[in-house]
Amino acid sequence: MQEYGVFTLFLFSIVVYNTVLLYGTVGEILTEKAGSLNLGVEGTMAVGAIFGYLAGVSTNNLWIGLVGAFIAGGLCGLLFAFLTVSLQANQNVTGLTITTFGLGLYFFVGKGFGSNWPALQSAPDVVAAYAAVPIPVLSSLPMVGKAFFSHSVLVYLGVLIAVGIWWYMKYTKTGLKLRAVGENPSAADSVGININLYKYIHIIIGSGIMGLGGYYMALVMGGSFEGSTCWINGYGWISIALVIFANWNPVMAILGSLVFGFFNTLQVYSGSLANSFPESLGWLSGIPAQLYQALPFLITAIVLIASSIRQKDGEGGPAALGVNYFREER
Amino acid sequence: MKKQSSFHMVKREGVKWQQIAMSYLIAIVVAIALGGVLLSVQNVNPFDYYKDMFSLGVVGNKFAYKQVEAFIKLFTPLLLTSVALSLAFKMRFWNIGGEGQFIIGALGAGSVAYLLGETMPTAVVLLLMALVGAVLGGLYGAVVAILKVKHGTNETLLTLMMNYLALYLLKFFGETSGDWNFFLAKDSNRPLFATFPDNAKMITLPTPFGSFSLNLSLVIVVLLCVGVWWYLKYTKQGYEISVVGDSPNSAKYAGMKVSKIVIRTIFLSAALIGLAGAFYASSAGTLSTSMTNDVGWTGIIVAWLAKLNTIGIIVTSLLITVLQHGCSVASSSYATVDANFADLLQGMILFSVLTADFFTRFKLVRNSKQEVAK
Repeated sequence: MQEYGVFTLFLFSIVVYNTVLLYGTVGEILTEKAGSLNLGVEGTMAVGAIFGYLAGVSTNNLWIGLVGAFIAGGLCGLLFAFLTVSLQANQNVTGLTITTFGLGLYFFVGKGFGSNWPALQSAPDVVAAYAAVPIPVLSSLPMVGKAFFSHSVLVYLGVLIAVGIWWYMKYTKTGLKLRAVGENPSAADSVGININLYKYIHIIIGSGIMGLGGYYMALVMGGSFEGSTCWINGYGWISIALVIFANWNPVMAILGSLVFGFFNTLQVYSGSLANSFPESLGWLSGIPAQLYQALPFLITAIVLIASSIRQKDGEGGPAALGVNYFREER
Repeated sequence: MKKQSSFHMVKREGVKWQQIAMSYLIAIVVAIALGGVLLSVQNVNPFDYYKDMFSLGVVGNKFAYKQVEAFIKLFTPLLLTSVALSLAFKMRFWNIGGEGQFIIGALGAGSVAYLLGETMPTAVVLLLMALVGAVLGGLYGAVVAILKVKHGTNETLLTLMMNYLALYLLKFFGETSGDWNFFLAKDSNRPLFATFPDNAKMITLPTPFGSFSLNLSLVIVVLLCVGVWWYLKYTKQGYEISVVGDSPNSAKYAGMKVSKIVIRTIFLSAALIGLAGAFYASSAGTLSTSMTNDVGWTGIIVAWLAKLNTIGIIVTSLLITVLQHGCSVASSSYATVDANFADLLQGMILFSVLTADFFTRFKLVRNSKQEVAK
């Protein structure tokens, strides 16, 4: 049994370090389904992370932090919606600027604390509420029990949100209208759907969910603020890639974050896996770490190209993605 | 009965460029003032901070020329990248792959420097580096253009992914020890990019201003900007770009080969970015995994702020470089505000300029009673 320890730990880490992708991806799916390509995921997550963390730690309450992260992320979404929906600004440029701005704000706020940065340990209730909660029965399964069914409530929340958004988009009337807005806004407008309202609401909620992902990551990183790298450290960009891989389906995003997470985590564990199973997995240590890091982007690039060659580009992706809707031009 | 809003938007016609410039200026001042408010929240005196920032470490500094050289080192790649991106954006081709094209260009130039640098005279090596960097960067972009025109592949997302492929390729060469890896320093135990041979380092021109020497690549880049401006304004190809950008359909009816124009222009755009990477590498005399300094991203903001106007891009990249260099200079005197403050300012400037831009493009008109009743 002992030699399986590292393997279980590997699977466990896949979930711990990549649930952030699930939040980011589901948030972006909701945004893109409203026809808006928000490239500000990285920045939105950073803003959600730092304000959520500060709210949670200063009140010593995990849930207040969660609400704070949602609001902070949502405000980034409001900014994006205001600029691109109301002011008709270009979505790519606005999204990229949200990222620049968000990362700038993250470091500005964090640096501002100087040596008074609040450590996670100063909020024992947050630590306790964040700790792993094993799911009865399932968590006692051999190997996979510890790996997949013994996690923080925030991991379960991420899965719940993904399933909930999937259900909302597939089975509710507003979800159907949302898809119409992303596919063909002028047709949706002509049947009386308030395009701007739909866009605003879904962009804001989507960004709020990204903010939750940032908050989760802040806690995974133990809340230690470093001046050089942000907690999010590229997860926002991988999330944008994952939206394509998951074919704009939130439930597929759960699977997708495990697949992308597999490569992310393999990069860290390839050495110890190769050591523990030299005969079967020894070759792992021969593969350069950069390949593991590049794989999510490589896979996504291939999916993008392959689906466009098969002319199935519009299958999951909204047809009007990235195009602003200007009513007077209808 | 659906509720009608009492305002609607109408496009403005015939706005003078002076009005646009004025509204942008106001927007920038507003953003910087907002930055000042944020600084005072952090207990930093905004006037002192901005004084340090905007003086760029040049005032009252014996080694001011070093600051100017550092400024140019930031400014040159940003200017060329932004101008190059504007070519693509004019055709509504969303090349957000500047980071990747820059890295591929630098890798190409680096390979020339490491493999051939010692065997040939400086002028030949530098020319070859520029050429290889530009061609490789250009091809890296043109691949996407070909996929876009042939299969309709989403170029925004594909160029985004390719940024990371290039980055991890660079990291692979920079972090993997091995006899085959000619990128690394031979005398270092841990992997480290080697310094270029002297023949592969960018020429610096002596100037009458004391110890200050001018990096030749800045001169070339400014000339290239003039060239691009002329190309867009006075050549047939430049005209084709603007027609395709305005309406691909009318370009088609006018008998233009839209696919060819798109591929050609994206190759040019990406090649100039690859060249920026090659210039940067030869000026720095080595490669580094953080060498892009985010120009591929910042260039997009610059090009957009300048409304894709070549002259505007020169002014805007100067402004953005002032922010970046100024913040890094000021960060040495303020413990709680680091160089990332430049990002925050850039973001706020763009947000407020986008807002100003709206009011120069549209006006809000109150709906008349009759119209609402309809």
